[in-house]
Amino acid sequence: MNRRTLVGLLLLWSLGPLLWQVYTSFCSDQALIQPFVSHDQRWTLIHYQSVLNANPPFWRYLVNSLIVGISSTFLCLLLALPAAYALNRIPRQLSALSRLALVGAALFPYVLLFLALLELARALNLGNQLLALSLPYAALSQPLAILLLNNAFNDLPPELEDAAKLEGLSLFQRFRWIFIPLISPATASTAILVFLFSWNEYPIALTWISDSSKLTLPVAMARIAGSSIYSVPYGAYAAATVLGSIPLVLLVLIFQKPIVSGLTSGAVKG
Amino acid sequence: MTLQIQNLGRHVGQQWIVRHLNLHVEDGECVALVGPSGCGKSSTLRLIAGLDPVSEGEIILNQKNISHVSAAQRAVGMVFQSYALLPHLSVFANLELGLRVRGVRPSDRQQRIQAMLELVQLQDRADVLPAQLSGGQRQRVALARALLRDPDVYLLDEPMSNLDAQLREELRPELRRLVLDRQKPVIHVTHDQHEAMAIADRIAVLHSGRIQQVATPTELYHLPETLFIAKFIGRPQINCLRPKDGVITAVRPESLFFAKEGLPCKLMSREWLGSSQLLYLESPEGSLRLSCSTSVDIPESLIVSWHRSDEHYFDEDSGRRL
Repeated sequence: MNRRTLVGLLLLWSLGPLLWQVYTSFCSDQALIQPFVSHDQRWTLIHYQSVLNANPPFWRYLVNSLIVGISSTFLCLLLALPAAYALNRIPRQLSALSRLALVGAALFPYVLLFLALLELARALNLGNQLLALSLPYAALSQPLAILLLNNAFNDLPPELEDAAKLEGLSLFQRFRWIFIPLISPATASTAILVFLFSWNEYPIALTWISDSSKLTLPVAMARIAGSSIYSVPYGAYAAATVLGSIPLVLLVLIFQKPIVSGLTSGAVKG
Repeated sequence: MTLQIQNLGRHVGQQWIVRHLNLHVEDGECVALVGPSGCGKSSTLRLIAGLDPVSEGEIILNQKNISHVSAAQRAVGMVFQSYALLPHLSVFANLELGLRVRGVRPSDRQQRIQAMLELVQLQDRADVLPAQLSGGQRQRVALARALLRDPDVYLLDEPMSNLDAQLREELRPELRRLVLDRQKPVIHVTHDQHEAMAIADRIAVLHSGRIQQVATPTELYHLPETLFIAKFIGRPQINCLRPKDGVITAVRPESLFFAKEGLPCKLMSREWLGSSQLLYLESPEGSLRLSCSTSVDIPESLIVSWHRSDEHYFDEDSGRRL
């Protein structure tokens, strides 16, 4: 087996299901169950129409997920950036201990928390509020975000900050002029990971939100899949999947360069 | 305007990194801090700059105790070994940042940076990123940044050790011209004794966080106060004879000469250095280094001698000069 076939097989393995989903979304229901259908009966946009014209329309969920995704990413970075910096400046032993705790927290299966979180949401009256969802999302992404950003801070030569201190830059100015620009690749890749988590998250969104106009994508998709007990709406589900992945594909395409350079770390050299 | 350091010390945990440090630097005077790596010379600079907290003692600049003043308020200009230029900003923007946060008006900034770039001969490189500059040019930008700060004291932390030997030699007079012309105290940290001797008015030798001697280069060379300094200053290294009655006698390699009577030796190896040559000899007193002109013929029977006046005596236990 040469290299080319190996790459081809890997591509098929990872992209195959996606392409199949795209294909399915454009097929009529009839075409999905019968192998031989005439050309004009095979291709259709009806699934997209039905998904977009449903009540509430599908773009509503996209907007909801975007709101939650952007707000949780913003909140997460707002807290993680100073924390990652501080982790770099506290005494070494304390920092090592904190990092260990963060790794533990990052590896913790968060599904175990969702019942407790539901109780919290009920007690604090956070149910059915989109922005409230960003609280658990930002918190759950926090350990990983801090660790990733801390690595980026570690890679910066310490003299850069020393020189800036001597020039008279305050902590805030040092962030503005040195840290934010220099760790932007790591920040971008962290932001994508946090956004992805929020975009895909299911159990918390399912339990916190019941108002159908405030659902996020994963929950809405599950509703489409289970909308009828007599049939499985493959076509509509596939159309929703395709629509739901478009924003992510765009996001990754736009930020491709910083993500790759951020994930491979050592991105910034003095 | 002078810099006065009194009994300065800093410890981390139980360990003293710098202790009992006393130093006095006049305006327009350059004092070099030399010593082996890990002797605390960079730590001393960081204490003076305010980047590390002072554990004991005082730093007095122009009659003002600045020991516990923040780094931003100390008016210190520092040049780092790694240049510490911001990689994402152009040369101009790097120089402008400090002026901007110190509230200098935009038109003023433009003018001062232009003048400074001309002074360091980089006027046509204002818009390039530091990565596009050579090492020597980057160091000049770093120097320009320190000069623009118009500080009360200049701290140079191995400013030239990332440059190759030739460039270092070229930059030395320029460094003197740019920094010492300001008539402010200058402290220059280096591990290169040649650089220290070439640039500094006085040299302070540090060993395990303590100053062993502060003196002019000539004094340091001819009257080293400790065996450590005698060994550290001067290349090739000083010869130490076998200790007798607790006294170590040391003789510089260039003080040795061939004679009819003296110490019989065996030639082990020979280094030819152009203007001089260095002979490695084995003698009953231990191995010796002899430095002489290349025009000197090496005799068949190697007998070396030296004048009594060229001998240095040190106490074997304390290493102090006797």
